[in-house]
Amino acid sequence: MQHLTFSHVRLVAVGASVALALSLAACSSGGSPTTTTSAPTTTQFAFLGLNENTTVKDVLTSLQSGACASTVANYPLNASAYAQAQYDQQLQLLAGQNALPNLLVGPNAPALAVELNTAGDLVDFKQALSDVGSPNALLPAAASVVQSLYDGNLIGLPNEFNIEGVWYNKKILSDNNITAPTTWDQFTQANATLLAAGVQPWSVAGKGGDGWNVTRLVGNYIFRSLGPDAMDKVAAGTAKLTDAAYVAGADAVSAWGKAGYFGTAPTSIDYATAMNTFLTGQAAFYYMGSWALGDFNNTDENQIGADNIGFLPFPDVTGGTGSHDQIPANAGMPLMMSKAAYGPGSQAWLKCIADNYGYTSLSEKGVISGFAVNQTISNLPALTQQVQQIMASAPSSVLWFEAKFSAEATTTSQNDAGPLAEGTMSGADFMAAVQADLG
Amino acid sequence: MKRVFSDRKTIIILLAPALLTYTLAMLVPMVWSLGYTFFDGSLIRGFTYTGLSNFTAVFHDRKAGQAILFTVKYAVTITVGQVLLGYLLALLYVFYLKRASSIIRTLTFFPVVLPTVAVSLLFSKLFEIAPTVGPVNSLLQALGIHAMNWFGSGSNAFIVIAAMDIWRSMGFYGVLLYAGLVDIPDDVIESARLDGASGWRLARNIVLPLSWPVVVSAVIFSINGTLKVFDSIYALTGGGPGQQTTPLTLYMYQTSFAYGKYGYGSTIALTLTIMCLLVTLVIFRSSRKDLTA
Amino acid sequence: MSTATTPTTSITLTAAESRRRSRPHAAWRGRVRRLPLALITIVLLVVEIYPLVWLLLGSLKTQSEFMNRPTWALPQNWANFANYATAWQAGISRNLLNSVIAVFPSLALIIVFGVAAGFALEVMVWKGRNTVLLLFLGGIMIPSQMILLPLFTVYFRIHLTGTMWPLVVTYTATGLPLTVFMMATYFRAIPRELFEAATIDGASLLRSFWSVAFPMMTNAIFTVGLVQFFFLWNDLLLAMTFTSGSGHNELATVQVGLLSFQGRFGSVQYGPTMAAICVNVLITLVLYLFLNQRVMKGMTAGAIKG
Repeated sequence: MQHLTFSHVRLVAVGASVALALSLAACSSGGSPTTTTSAPTTTQFAFLGLNENTTVKDVLTSLQSGACASTVANYPLNASAYAQAQYDQQLQLLAGQNALPNLLVGPNAPALAVELNTAGDLVDFKQALSDVGSPNALLPAAASVVQSLYDGNLIGLPNEFNIEGVWYNKKILSDNNITAPTTWDQFTQANATLLAAGVQPWSVAGKGGDGWNVTRLVGNYIFRSLGPDAMDKVAAGTAKLTDAAYVAGADAVSAWGKAGYFGTAPTSIDYATAMNTFLTGQAAFYYMGSWALGDFNNTDENQIGADNIGFLPFPDVTGGTGSHDQIPANAGMPLMMSKAAYGPGSQAWLKCIADNYGYTSLSEKGVISGFAVNQTISNLPALTQQVQQIMASAPSSVLWFEAKFSAEATTTSQNDAGPLAEGTMSGADFMAAVQADLG
Repeated sequence: MKRVFSDRKTIIILLAPALLTYTLAMLVPMVWSLGYTFFDGSLIRGFTYTGLSNFTAVFHDRKAGQAILFTVKYAVTITVGQVLLGYLLALLYVFYLKRASSIIRTLTFFPVVLPTVAVSLLFSKLFEIAPTVGPVNSLLQALGIHAMNWFGSGSNAFIVIAAMDIWRSMGFYGVLLYAGLVDIPDDVIESARLDGASGWRLARNIVLPLSWPVVVSAVIFSINGTLKVFDSIYALTGGGPGQQTTPLTLYMYQTSFAYGKYGYGSTIALTLTIMCLLVTLVIFRSSRKDLTA
Repeated sequence: MSTATTPTTSITLTAAESRRRSRPHAAWRGRVRRLPLALITIVLLVVEIYPLVWLLLGSLKTQSEFMNRPTWALPQNWANFANYATAWQAGISRNLLNSVIAVFPSLALIIVFGVAAGFALEVMVWKGRNTVLLLFLGGIMIPSQMILLPLFTVYFRIHLTGTMWPLVVTYTATGLPLTVFMMATYFRAIPRELFEAATIDGASLLRSFWSVAFPMMTNAIFTVGLVQFFFLWNDLLLAMTFTSGSGHNELATVQVGLLSFQGRFGSVQYGPTMAAICVNVLITLVLYLFLNQRVMKGMTAGAIKG
């Protein structure tokens, strides 16, 4: 009875795929964007965040039980999180199914947010905030950072508002008779003095994708030498990173690396290690954003003392058209809302966040956000107050090197930052690799 | 009697669950993804038909070329290392440790069980140079050699990756190959010994030919795993420094999910599948006699 | 001895005699010759055991010890179990349970389906079985990255997302090719007459599959089961994609959970990570020692022979 031939087997296979197709057709009406609910009167408010940053979740939880207890009672928070490295992938998969949660932390790559917005997946907060009666919830400076990041659209809520610059160890500088440098050349001199005295001048991270703090130096050098619109020109295609004036920025950083100003092996140093090197007094300078205030104010981590840390704006480049008072700023990974899931629940939460997030975030977590803070907070750490002052007095801001890049160019830039800082990759090679991915 | 073994109903009952699951959850998605190779786009933007442009792009993609080279280099090195060291371990078990080998086998086998995240953390600490100097560099310094930044260049990082993955899996291949060696009848070896063969010659002329089929199986098994390496490199170097230790799987993953070019990502995955297929066929062909014997 | 011809026997005798005569010398020489091998064995043991010790010690260290003291330094406080508390709070018990829920049912399905298919493809006689076997073999070469997107889409559409089913189904499917292939090879080594003796008609063939063929495969099942177990237990890619809402949430497996001990910007919390790994390793170790005897026997008895 040798009758079962291959055609039978094929029949089984075909039957199987037909079954699959049918099941697909049956369900192609689309999934519901929110998860099922336990009680009929409440609708869950789904929030998607990052494993690595629990601040947003903590603040939302606190709002739910505190300031907004009455307004969001019918929309209980349902928070989940992904690892940052997989986050953009998950967003794409969810968006592809039209299943973004009500509230989400924006993608790592700003380009992806723009793409989501173009596809009509995101809520425009300019309109939405007036609709809920809180049109002035955001600090104008923070709102403008968000807008310049996303092609002019206010699709993100600045749950953080950070400035970046050079933090320095006051004691190391005074021990070596160095006055706080304000130009790139003065920094170079200070570096040489420190290295000669056996002190590692800079603490940087260049392991894997942690190299962004190195590319910040490159980008800021370009902003100082070519002006604040330098990277916009690259995005528009009117300038290329391989142009001599741009390569100069990467070369300047590579030269510091070759001279050993970034330590033995930046490619082996991750974010936490670089932070630790600075906070244990093993390096004089550290480029970082103000979100690190939490670490600076933590007495366990910070062994050099918070009052021993000073802030310097990114230095001027001699002969450049940019200026040190154009402070590099960002809004962290702004919060976004799904348009498909936008309803009474989202609106109640938006109102709650708009009116209370700024205060709760600063008072409970010490994180400065881009929301207006409606009450005064006493006993803020001195360093935090200082940063707030700088923010308030800064006339204008710039974004960062990769802000307008595609995800691919961003990855290349941040991965190649390590070799650049180690001096094993030339500025020209670095810029050529990144430009190749920009197309 | 033959008829009983051709009973159609029995065949269907036995085969259907496996074939159905396999077809639905692997073959259909595979074909589905193959379809994407003719499209450009992402889940968000939607897809547009682009014909063969993804395929021509692979040939002109510098990064894809680099990833293919790295994948081949990795697969060859690790396969040779795994199987060779595994074989030496197996020889050690059979001819030196004999009955006492059980505990050693167990211990060398154990690293296979360790989570990838743990192993990569361990090796990055072992080969560390900054902020503290790790054991390997301390040893180098003690020997009067300069400490190295093992993760500073692609070629150095490759050494660490190779050491890690071979360390991790040699015990597994040791046991696998041990199984083949144990099956060689004692009297064959004994008589060869009596004919004056010993040590290396015994291994080369008698033991190796007799265990060859198992070695070939192990090689096929190993090369298919190593060509598809993902977890360990992802956890240890993340493909860096730069792109220098990025295998095809990681590049495919980045392209599809981080860069949002699913069609192109599928094309890269197809390239990898074809590579696996070719390598397996070559090994299969070149040792067909041994395998069918 | 099969080669019992007179000349050989005489040689044997001579050899044995000479060996006996020079015994003290030979033994001494033998020991010297074996010294390198003994050394290799010791080095091997150190290389295999040190990492485990390192993990255990690491789980007792604070973050600052990781940062500021050498890797091989002993923990400053031997009773520092804070890392274990942190790891426990992050939900490793939940992660372990999830891994068990995802891996063991898959493993059972892989084995039952795989043995049955191996039997159908190797013992049963029908046209096209080689083609189907090749079809399975082809599956070994498919990178799992390639099936992620279609599967995610389907699971979502049929509302399986948010349950353990996507993982179980995908694990079963990806484990089948190798299992079917290996089972078919094992069955090839068994003479068909063995099944013929126990089989009279079609119906009893199924019974003889359960009562004769399946038990005969016990060793092979343990071997393949072990190999598959490690593949599945250590899987990161599929688990990352299909456990919607990973990290501290309901569906994360052990491997995904381990990733959650990373702080912002990729900073690793070394201590809790090590503690979580230790708990994970301990459980696997117990399982492993429990199954080890069985497994080693299985792998030895049923070598993968092409």
